[in-house]
Amino acid sequence: MNGVRPGSRHRRRRDALAGLAFTAPAMLHTLVFMLVPAGAALYFSFTEWDMISPARWVGLRNYREILFDSDLYPDFWKSIRVTALYALLSVPASLVTGFVQAYLIDLLRRGQAFYRLVLYLPVITAEAAVAAIWKWLYDPRFGLVNAGLGVLGVRGPDWLGTPGVVVPALALIAAWQSGTAMLIFLAGLKGIPRTYYEAAEVDGANRWQQLGRITLPLLRPTTFYLVVTGVIAALQVFGIVYVLFGGNAGPERSGLSYVLHLYLFGYRNGAMGAASAMSVVLFVTVLLVTVAQFRLIPRQYEG
Amino acid sequence: MSAAKTVDAGAPAVVPAPSADAGTRTPVRRRRRRRNAPIPLRLTAHVLLIGGAVVALAPFVWMVATSFKQPQDVFTPTPHLLPTDARTGQWAGTFANYLQVLDLGGFAVALLNSVIVAVVLIPGKLLLDALAAYAFARIPFPGRNALFLVVLATIMVPGIALLIPKVFVTQELGMGDSLTGVIVPSLVSAFDIFLLRQFFLTLPGELEEAATIDGAGRLRIFWSVALPLAKPALAVVTITSFIFHWNELLWPLVILSDQDKYTLPLALQALAAGRVAQPHLVMAGAVIAVMPVVGIFLVFQRRILDGIQLTGLKS
Repeated sequence: MNGVRPGSRHRRRRDALAGLAFTAPAMLHTLVFMLVPAGAALYFSFTEWDMISPARWVGLRNYREILFDSDLYPDFWKSIRVTALYALLSVPASLVTGFVQAYLIDLLRRGQAFYRLVLYLPVITAEAAVAAIWKWLYDPRFGLVNAGLGVLGVRGPDWLGTPGVVVPALALIAAWQSGTAMLIFLAGLKGIPRTYYEAAEVDGANRWQQLGRITLPLLRPTTFYLVVTGVIAALQVFGIVYVLFGGNAGPERSGLSYVLHLYLFGYRNGAMGAASAMSVVLFVTVLLVTVAQFRLIPRQYEG
Repeated sequence: MSAAKTVDAGAPAVVPAPSADAGTRTPVRRRRRRRNAPIPLRLTAHVLLIGGAVVALAPFVWMVATSFKQPQDVFTPTPHLLPTDARTGQWAGTFANYLQVLDLGGFAVALLNSVIVAVVLIPGKLLLDALAAYAFARIPFPGRNALFLVVLATIMVPGIALLIPKVFVTQELGMGDSLTGVIVPSLVSAFDIFLLRQFFLTLPGELEEAATIDGAGRLRIFWSVALPLAKPALAVVTITSFIFHWNELLWPLVILSDQDKYTLPLALQALAAGRVAQPHLVMAGAVIAVMPVVGIFLVFQRRILDGIQLTGLKS
């Protein structure tokens, strides 16, 4: 009967069965929807494939063509420049905004919860809705943005219709969505021991000195985390440009992000092999960015 | 993307502390006694933050305002906040945009589709993720570490890089162009498994021991002991998953082509892409798409914000 001691062989066998059974659905799912696709992405990137007729092995041709054949893929490098510029502008924009917001909120005695809530609202809003709203806000003649600038006596540009302005306009939207950075910075600020400031005050340090000597250095792990995740997210920007510009990618394709380019090639033109190669390039880039950023920052803190 | 876990130097990387009663407000982070900033500084901070709050909210206000305007009152040289007649200045607000969008714009169908996806996907996902997380945390079994390592590795992979073969696999399984195809590939989230595992690790072992002595099997313990205790963590996963999937554009976009299967973000995208600018309709559609998430956010704001603060955000 059931006189088995806990820890006995019987129980270990039952645990082994239970453990495998509990994890089986998730692992099967991971196999089918992560591991198999990961292998397939790599495989298809070496083939010519339109998703209808069988894939044909072409070796490195896709990589060579997307990287160097500007007749076949005239916009590949353009999409990389657009994406890089977007990352370069949007990440600092949202981080600086988020930090200022967090710093100010942390000063308050009342109303912290309110500001936290309101400033986070833009983050939980669907990308499609964000794009739809901002398309209307940026309307050159009837939009709220230019109406506001008009009050200040400034004649606003056609934000989404002028090639050089499109990416800065996107970065402004990113600054509007600074809630994530605000929230994480706020957590970081609250983690700084109060005694540091007290000691600085005793030494006669003013607020700016405290900011520069204590707050900012101690927030470096937080900033680092936000930069890494922010850059990785920026490299994959898609929804907002797709809803704003559709397949046109904006004036002179100035809103052609890397993933939009990939999407247009894969799904509109059916060049799945090339699109797979672009996916692999993206994956490697994200990996390199992560590794590089971990290398650049000395590992002096344990996060 | 999902990301590493914690930022708060001191705090452990877990979701709110286990509390038997999820209803009462437990002060999750102990509030450190604050150093009071001088009053002029606090006032300045308030003024600046009110400015920031206005900027954050203005687009939403403008969205709602536009959604109630009649087409001829939308394009005015100076913006009018309230829906008034452009010539007479009389009140001219209307619900017609909403009715038109729901009916002709397909938003009624899209709303239903989005609800179906959420209602099937979220509970299914919670169950599968929690089962795996529980086993990884509490059941010793051969291969556990290796399997968990696989899960961790997949967190690092940018989802977009796998998009094309994932579409292919989904279609091969006969789920192309269907809500099933939207739901099933999202049923497991490595990040949520990781999160829930961290939570299950914190549960005291005595409860399980007691249940075992009472003759309960692992499934029984999972269902009747562990899951009820995990309510705070499950709540965070539920809410963040709901927001994420309700808003998701890219996956439904690549898997669906039939307009009758569109979810709300897709319907909104299609509406916004129209050749003629119809801000009054697009904004009505945006309100429909945004409202459920905003509502849930307002109700559960504390839990959501604390949860995100402690775990970092999957975005």
